[in-house]
Amino acid sequence: MAFVGQKLVKQIQTTGLKATVAQRLDDAFTRFTAGLSWNDVRGVLRGDPPAKPNPRVKPHTEGFWFHIRPTFYHEAVTTLYPTFRLGLLSAMFFTFEIITGIFLMIFYTPSPTYAYGNMLDILTNVPFGKFMRDLHRLGAEAMVIVVTLHMVRTFVTGSYKKPRQFTWFTGVVLLGVTLFLSFSGYLLPWDQLAFWAVTIGTSMADAVPGIGPELNLLLRGAPDIGAGGLLRFYLFHVVLFPLIGVIFVAVHYYKVVRFGISLPPEMEAIGEDTARKVPPEKRVNFLPDILTNELMYAGVAFAILAISCATWYSAPLEHHADPLVTPNHTVAPWYFYWLQGLLKIPHMIPILPSGIAGEVDRFFANVFGLTPKVFWGVIVGPLLFAILFVVPYIDPNPSRRYGDRKVMLTLGALFAAAIIYLSFAGIPTGVPITGFGYVGGDPASEVGQAFIPDEGIGPVRRLPYEEYVAGKFPVNAQPNTGSAGLDRLIRDIHNDMEARKVRPDPLGKTLPADATGTLEVKQIQSNLRQVIITIDYTDVNGAPTQFKKYTFLHAQSGYAD
Amino acid sequence: MSIFKKIVTYRPSFTVRILTGLISMLILLSVCTFIGLADRTRLNVRATEFDARSIEAGAKVYFDQCARCHGPNGEGVEGLGPALASEQFVGRIELVRDDMQMQSIKVVQPSERIKQIGWSGTLEDYIIAVTEAGIPIKTSNVWDVTHPTFSERLGGPLRGDQIRNVASFIVNYGLNPLPNDQALLPPAPGEGMAPRPTPVPLTAEQEAGKQVYLAKGCAACHAIRGVGAQGALGPNLTRIGSVAEERIASESYKTNLKDQPPATTAAEYIRQSILHPNAYIVAQCPQGPCQAGLMPQNYEQQLTPEELNNLVDYLSSLK
Ligand code: HEC
Ligand code: HEC
Ligand code: HEM
Repeated sequence: MAFVGQKLVKQIQTTGLKATVAQRLDDAFTRFTAGLSWNDVRGVLRGDPPAKPNPRVKPHTEGFWFHIRPTFYHEAVTTLYPTFRLGLLSAMFFTFEIITGIFLMIFYTPSPTYAYGNMLDILTNVPFGKFMRDLHRLGAEAMVIVVTLHMVRTFVTGSYKKPRQFTWFTGVVLLGVTLFLSFSGYLLPWDQLAFWAVTIGTSMADAVPGIGPELNLLLRGAPDIGAGGLLRFYLFHVVLFPLIGVIFVAVHYYKVVRFGISLPPEMEAIGEDTARKVPPEKRVNFLPDILTNELMYAGVAFAILAISCATWYSAPLEHHADPLVTPNHTVAPWYFYWLQGLLKIPHMIPILPSGIAGEVDRFFANVFGLTPKVFWGVIVGPLLFAILFVVPYIDPNPSRRYGDRKVMLTLGALFAAAIIYLSFAGIPTGVPITGFGYVGGDPASEVGQAFIPDEGIGPVRRLPYEEYVAGKFPVNAQPNTGSAGLDRLIRDIHNDMEARKVRPDPLGKTLPADATGTLEVKQIQSNLRQVIITIDYTDVNGAPTQFKKYTFLHAQSGYAD
Repeated sequence: MSIFKKIVTYRPSFTVRILTGLISMLILLSVCTFIGLADRTRLNVRATEFDARSIEAGAKVYFDQCARCHGPNGEGVEGLGPALASEQFVGRIELVRDDMQMQSIKVVQPSERIKQIGWSGTLEDYIIAVTEAGIPIKTSNVWDVTHPTFSERLGGPLRGDQIRNVASFIVNYGLNPLPNDQALLPPAPGEGMAPRPTPVPLTAEQEAGKQVYLAKGCAACHAIRGVGAQGALGPNLTRIGSVAEERIASESYKTNLKDQPPATTAAEYIRQSILHPNAYIVAQCPQGPCQAGLMPQNYEQQLTPEELNNLVDYLSSLK
C-alpha cells in the first residue's frame, strides 16, 4: 500500500541516507532560489563561468525577485558611464529609508504633546537611536541629491527619448515623491526648524486662488499647523508617499527591464534603439556580475553613510515648536530654496529700488489679478516642475548624440543654472555678490543674530561655560576680561560691528557709526549664566536706541562639542 | 581627458567587487560595534546635555512669566509672590554621576515647604501642579493676587514642555539656594488669614490724588498693593512714603543727584521724582537695574498744580 514517504524510503534504500538527505536539501534549496542548485550558487559566488545551458537565467523566469531584474546587460552600460549607477542608488536609498524609518516609527507618536519628547528619547534613551535618526535624515537628503543627479544623467544621455518617454514620466513622479517624502518627514521632530519650514511651505497652498483655504485645511487639518497637521503629515510620510513611491518604482523598473538601459548615444544609429538586441558576446549576465556589482555599490554607499553619521553628521534638533515665536531667518528645506527664491523675484533687491518693488506688486495685482505670491509660488513654481514632465514629448529631435542636441543641452544647462541661482536667492544671505534675495533685518539685530542665533548654536553658545566671567564689558578691540576665550568673542563682536559700520548690507543699510556694544555676563544659578549683548546707537531720527539680545548658558549644555 | 575616460569606463573585476563589498560590510559592522559598545555612556552624556538645555529654556520662561511676581533672583516680591529660590522651598540638592556617566539629582536636604503643606509628590511635581493650574483656593491674605493658571489647557500661555522646563530651572536653585532670611517666605498653612489692618482712611485730597494716579498711567509702570496697580517697569510704590525718607537719607542720593537741589522731605522727594525723573535714578527696579529716561519727563505739562499736589499728598501717605 502506498503511503506518504514511500518514495523517500525507496530512495534511502537505493542510494543510502546521506545521499538522500543531500539530494533533498539541494532540492529545497533549488526551489528556494527558483532554479539554482547549491553548486550553481557556489559557482556564482566564485565567479566561475556558467555551464551550458546557463542555469543562471532560470531565477529570472521562475522567481519573483529576479524576474523584475533583466537576465543580462549590454557590456557598454556596466561601466560607470553612462548610468553612474544613480538609478540603482536611488532604489537602494528608497529601501534604506524604509528600513531605518520603521526603526524610528517604533519610538514615535505623531502628536504635538509627545513628538518632541519622543525625539529627545530617541537621542538619549534608545540604543542606536541617534545613529538611526542620523542615518534616516542623511539618507533622505542624499536621496534627493542622488535622484536629481539620476534625472540629470538621463537628460544628458538623452535616455528619455523614444521608447523611454514614459520611463521618464514615471521618474518625474518619483522625483516629486522623493521631495515630498523628505518634506513631510521634516515636520515630524516638531521643533522650531521643522515647524516654521513647513509653515512656510504649506502657506503656498493657502495662496492658491479659489480653493486655497480649503486646500490649506486639507493639508493642515486646521487653519494653522497643529495636532491635525502633524498627524496628516505623518500619514503622508509613512503611508501615502511611500505607497505611491513603491508603485511608481515598480512601474519605472518594469520599463527599465522592458526597454533595457539605453546604450551610450554614440553606439547607436540615430533614431534606433538597440538596448535589447545584445549580441551574445556583449552580454554581461546578471548572475553573478551585475548582482555582485550592485552589492558592492550598496556596501560602499552604506559604509560611507554609516561613517558620516558616526563622525561629522548630526541631524539637527532645535527648540520645541512654538507657533508664537517665529525665529529669525526661517527657511524652507534646502531642496525648496528655489521656490523661496522665486517668491522674492517681485522684490528684486537691489536691482529695483523698494518703491518700484511696490509697483511690481501692483502690476501683478492689476494686470493678472494675482498677488506675486500666487503668481510666482503657485503658478510659476509648479509650472517649472511640470516642464520636466513634458520634456520627452516636446523634444522633437530623434538623435541622442550630444553633438546633435546643442539646443536641448543648453536649455537644460540654463534651467539648472536658474534653479541654482534661485536657490541662492532663497536663503537669507541671498546670492553672493549681487545680494539678490537678501532679507536681513536691522544691522544691529543682525549682529545679535550672528552671535546668538534664535535657532542653532552660534559663537556665544559655542564658547564653553567656563570661559565666561561675570561682569559687564564694553565691546572694543582690546577687551580685558581675564579670560582669553571671552576676549576673543568680544573682539569678534567688535570686528563684526565695525565691518557693518563701513560695509552696507545689500539693502544699503549700515550700522550707525556711533554704535557701541556691551557684553554682560550674569550668574543666574550656580551653573547657569545669562549672556546679554546690547548695542546702543542713534537711529536715523536721532533718537537713542538700544538693541538687546540674550541667551542662557548652562555649564553642561555641551554646545561646544 | 584620458584619465577621466579611464575612470568612467572602469570595470571592477570580480575579485575587486567581492573584496570591496566585503571591506565595506566590515566597516559597516565595525561602525555599528563601535557605536554599540559605548552607546549607554553616550546616551547618558547626551541626556545630561538635554537636561541642561531644558534648564536654559526654563530660565527664559521664568524671566518672561514668573520673575515679576517671584523676583529676578527667586527672592519673592512683597504682595505678589513668595520666594522660589529659598532654602525652605527648594531645599538642597547635589548632582551625582555614576560610572556610566548617568547624572541624577541627589536630594541632600528635602524641601521644608512641601512637607509643611503636606504635598505627597516631589518638589518638581508641586511646581508643575501650581504652575499649570494655579492655587485654586485663597489660603492667605498676604498676597494681592491669586496664582495665574499657566497651562495651555486652562487658558494659560505655556505648553507642557515649557512648564516642565521652568520646573527644572527652579529645582536647579537647590544647588545654591537663597538663605531663608534673604527670601520672602510664604506663610505656613493656616497663618496669614488674618484680615489686613484697615488702612487709615484717605482724605478727600488724597482720594483725588489716587484717582490721578490711576488715570495718568502711573499704574502701568508702578505697582501699589491693594489698588489694582501692577505695573513692573518702575519701583513698587506701596510704601513710597517711608521709602522716600530712606532715599533722601541715603549716601547714593546725595552723590548721584543731578541738576536739582536735594529734597529734604518725603513729599519733596516724591514731587521731584515726578517732575524730574532723571535727576536721581533709583538703583533697583522689579526687572533689574532702573533705566534713565523710561519714566515720562513731561508731567509738569500733563498735570495741573492741583492734581500734582493731590498726587504727592496721596503718595506721601503710603507708609
Ligand atoms: C501674578 C503673580 C504671579 C506670577 C506671574 C507667578 N506667580 Fe507663582 N505665586 C504667586 C503667588 C501669589 C503665590 C502664593 C499663592 C498662595 O500661596 O496662595 C505663588 C506661589 C507659587 C508657587 C508655590 C510656592 C510655595 O511656596 O508654595 C510656585 C511653585 C509658583 N508660584 C510658581 C510659579 C511659576 C513657575 C511661575 C511662572 C510660570 C509663577 N509662579 C508665576 C504669584 C505669581
Ligand atoms: C514708563 C514707565 C513709568 C511711568 C508711566 C511712570 N513712571 Fe515713575 N518711574 C519709572 C521708573 C523706570 C522709575 C525709576 C527710575 C527713576 O528713578 O527715574 C520711576 C521712579 C519713580 C519714583 C521714584 C521711586 C523711588 O522708589 O524712589 C516715583 C515716586 C515715581 N516714579 C512716581 C510716578 C508717578 C506718580 C507717575 C505717574 C504720574 C509715574 N511715576 C509714571 C517709570 C515710570
Ligand atoms: C526614486 C526614484 C528613482 C528610482 C528608484 C529610479 C530607478 C531607476 C533605475 C534603477 C534605472 C536603471 C538605469 C540606471 O541605473 O540609471 C532607471 C532608469 C531611468 N530613470 Fe529612473 N529612478 C528614479 C527617478 C527617476 C527620475 C527622477 C527620472 C527623470 C525625471 C528618471 C528617469 C529615468 C530614465 C529616463 C531611465 C532610463 C535610462 C536608460 O534607459 O538609460 N528616474 N531608473
